[in-house]
Amino acid sequence: MLLAEGLTKSFPGVRALDGATLQLTAGSVHALLGENGAGKSTLVKILTGVYRPDGGRVVLDGRDVHFGSPLEALHAGIGVVHQERNLVPGFSIAENIALQHLPNRLGMVDRTRMRAEARRCLDLLDLDLDPDTRVAELSVAQAQLVEIAKALSVDTRVLLLDEPTASLTGDEADRLYAIVRKLTATGHAVVLVSHKLEEVFAVADTVTVLRDGRSVAQAQPLSGYTRDEIVDLMVGRAYASVELTARTVDRDATPALELAGLSTRHGHRDVSLTVARGEILGLYGLVGAGRTELAKALLGLDEITGGEVRVHGAPVRIRDVGQALRRHRIGYVPEDRKGEGLFLEQPITRNVGVTVWRRLARFGLIPDRAERDVVAEYTKLLGIRAASPNQLAGQLSGGNQQKVSLAKWLAASCDILIVDEPTVGIDVRTKAAFHELIARLAGQGMAILLISSDLPEIVTLADRIAVMGDAAVRGELANDHDYDTVSQRVIRLIHAAPAPV
Amino acid sequence: MKPEDTTTPEQPRPPARLPLWANPRIGLVVLLIALIALFTTLRPAFLNTQLTLVPMQADISVYAVVGLSQLAVLSLGHMNMAVGRMAAMSAFASGLLHDRLDAPLIVALAGGLAMGALLGALAGLIIARTGVNSFVVTLALDFALIGLVSLLYASFTDGVAFNGLPAGMSALRTDTFADYCAGDLCGPPIPLLAPIALVAVLVVGLLFRWSRTGREVLMAGSNAKAAELSGIPVRARVIQAHALSGLLAGLAGFLLSANNGAFSAGVGDGFLLPSFLAPVLGGTLLVGGAVSVLGTVLGTAITQVIYKGLNLLQFQVDELKLYIGLVLLAALSLDRLRHVLAERRGVPA
Repeated sequence: MLLAEGLTKSFPGVRALDGATLQLTAGSVHALLGENGAGKSTLVKILTGVYRPDGGRVVLDGRDVHFGSPLEALHAGIGVVHQERNLVPGFSIAENIALQHLPNRLGMVDRTRMRAEARRCLDLLDLDLDPDTRVAELSVAQAQLVEIAKALSVDTRVLLLDEPTASLTGDEADRLYAIVRKLTATGHAVVLVSHKLEEVFAVADTVTVLRDGRSVAQAQPLSGYTRDEIVDLMVGRAYASVELTARTVDRDATPALELAGLSTRHGHRDVSLTVARGEILGLYGLVGAGRTELAKALLGLDEITGGEVRVHGAPVRIRDVGQALRRHRIGYVPEDRKGEGLFLEQPITRNVGVTVWRRLARFGLIPDRAERDVVAEYTKLLGIRAASPNQLAGQLSGGNQQKVSLAKWLAASCDILIVDEPTVGIDVRTKAAFHELIARLAGQGMAILLISSDLPEIVTLADRIAVMGDAAVRGELANDHDYDTVSQRVIRLIHAAPAPV
Repeated sequence: MKPEDTTTPEQPRPPARLPLWANPRIGLVVLLIALIALFTTLRPAFLNTQLTLVPMQADISVYAVVGLSQLAVLSLGHMNMAVGRMAAMSAFASGLLHDRLDAPLIVALAGGLAMGALLGALAGLIIARTGVNSFVVTLALDFALIGLVSLLYASFTDGVAFNGLPAGMSALRTDTFADYCAGDLCGPPIPLLAPIALVAVLVVGLLFRWSRTGREVLMAGSNAKAAELSGIPVRARVIQAHALSGLLAGLAGFLLSANNGAFSAGVGDGFLLPSFLAPVLGGTLLVGGAVSVLGTVLGTAITQVIYKGLNLLQFQVDELKLYIGLVLLAALSLDRLRHVLAERRGVPA
């Protein structure tokens, strides 16, 4: 039905696609897999008319096609749901669905037809939503389904889903995949881009694996592979699980960071945690449990209403991040790396250097050379892969962006580090490297508070695990790194009744 | 596994160089030369030193500083709609110091700059404290200052201007370096105002390129949230950038007063539009995070060359405005086109 053959595309310093091939047949779900930077997004963007390929061809129903714009691709029957939300929150569902092709009558929007059209799209997905509801009022999962309805609003036959379940719960994801099944039954071809291999194996029929811009498996039946074989294909060599160096934590010494009965304006009640030097404390909880907000209150970004924060035993009042860094050597790697961790329009140099300018400045001026040396040291240490230190952070792959976001705190020689969801949306290999790095930092004596919703990650890394729910600590347990028993205890804590206030 | 292993063996290629035609600064230089050639062909008097070149240099000096004043807050993604009135208030402060206290030139200048910086800092403080959009805050401030300037001139002068200038200020107006000779060796025909503007250009350039404060302002303009989470005192930087804007507006007011030969209420009336034109033409982003000081100077030069050229061709004032507007619209569209073309080729412009 659709064949993309020998696609090549280069960006400054990166060959994103190097002869990739993707073949789709109607009525099947096709998984497009690969690590970050393997070229998945570029391929999706070429198929949807965002980029033009440097070489290769796209054939749709036996005819060569060249899309000049996303709209042309849409009209050719290729719909896409991007990873990021693309709905206008203030508009209604019907308006959002009709946005690219507003039906008009005498130059005015034909609202009746627009509503009927939206109803038809929603019915395709068995969605019982009022087309006049404003998108802002929808849940994340509902909004996701509306995105799909929107992608189906033209006579769409190929639907590309880029990480569709990244922000959905298990049940919601199941519901979405039931809908995907239904679509293939009516002759649609669906391309699924996802990092969640379990889901891929549950839903997809065939698979294409990209590595370094080439397809290393092309339209193969997925049933012919095991999970490990797929990972091997993505990574390009037998993937060794991380061997973390054993660490000994001196629990008797004064803790590096101590929260004693902390309450905040956000609603945290009586939160007590300690992190020793050289220790990784895993802070687990569901989305919305208040972990990020706790970290931000700790850094002075939200008001602390009760209790005490102690750094190396001394009570402190932290006013802002600058003070946390300079006086207490605390660094914070935020969860939202694009929105809060990075300056996407600035080069790597500035992104890493920003925390050390104060130290490097002579008479208020920053010597280029000193900055370059510091940045080079940490890009090398973290293995940041970029064409040059002057490359913009926004042009890097997700894994490299996260490394840049971390590098500035290492450069500033922090000894307490709060890392918030460090490996969300990062591929298997980079994730392993990150885990190794975090363990090594702890091994060098850094106190690390690891906030994560990724239970395997917490069990791999943490020395102790604190479980948070509804802005309070539900319990704390020692981690013996045995996934089955630890995860059961953690899940039990999550679902335990909240402690009485 | 060592982190080094995460790099692939093949080294990524260095980024593709920006094609020459896509370099905004070179485009501006070419445009500037083409315009000068065009006007010289149409009116050879365009190269007349006394008639055109000297006054034009004085105007470029004034308006380059006006552009820098706006650039100081564009770096944050902010605007200063009160540049004109901050200049007027500065000129008033200088005039008052000379008129009542008989302050010498340098003191009058310092007083004017302090007034500008103070007003800018006030705007910055309100913006940083309340989080209200800079456009709204400075527009309101401008409105308030329009009234204040008239009231002040009405109370302290005969109504519109102070009589007399500090000693030495008229020289700034009338003299060029060609008037100062050592033996047979005279200076070039450059007005005395020019080096003052040049110092401002160099200082602002240095600030945004090498100083920690300037860079932190740019980072705050690039992503305020990330700046705060990287330990940058964002509020302080907002106040400082606006204070710098006010200070430069004050300097522009002083230079124009020197050029006009009086500290008057009307100083700064025509500052607002050029203050945006020069930086934007020169490649400074309205969204913040990147500035071009050199581009601002080139943008000013182009605007003034067009203005002088059309003036020599005896266009009426209204026609002048019309054509300048059109030329600038064309220039900005071309600039946008260049961005789009460069983007298509996968090069960040």
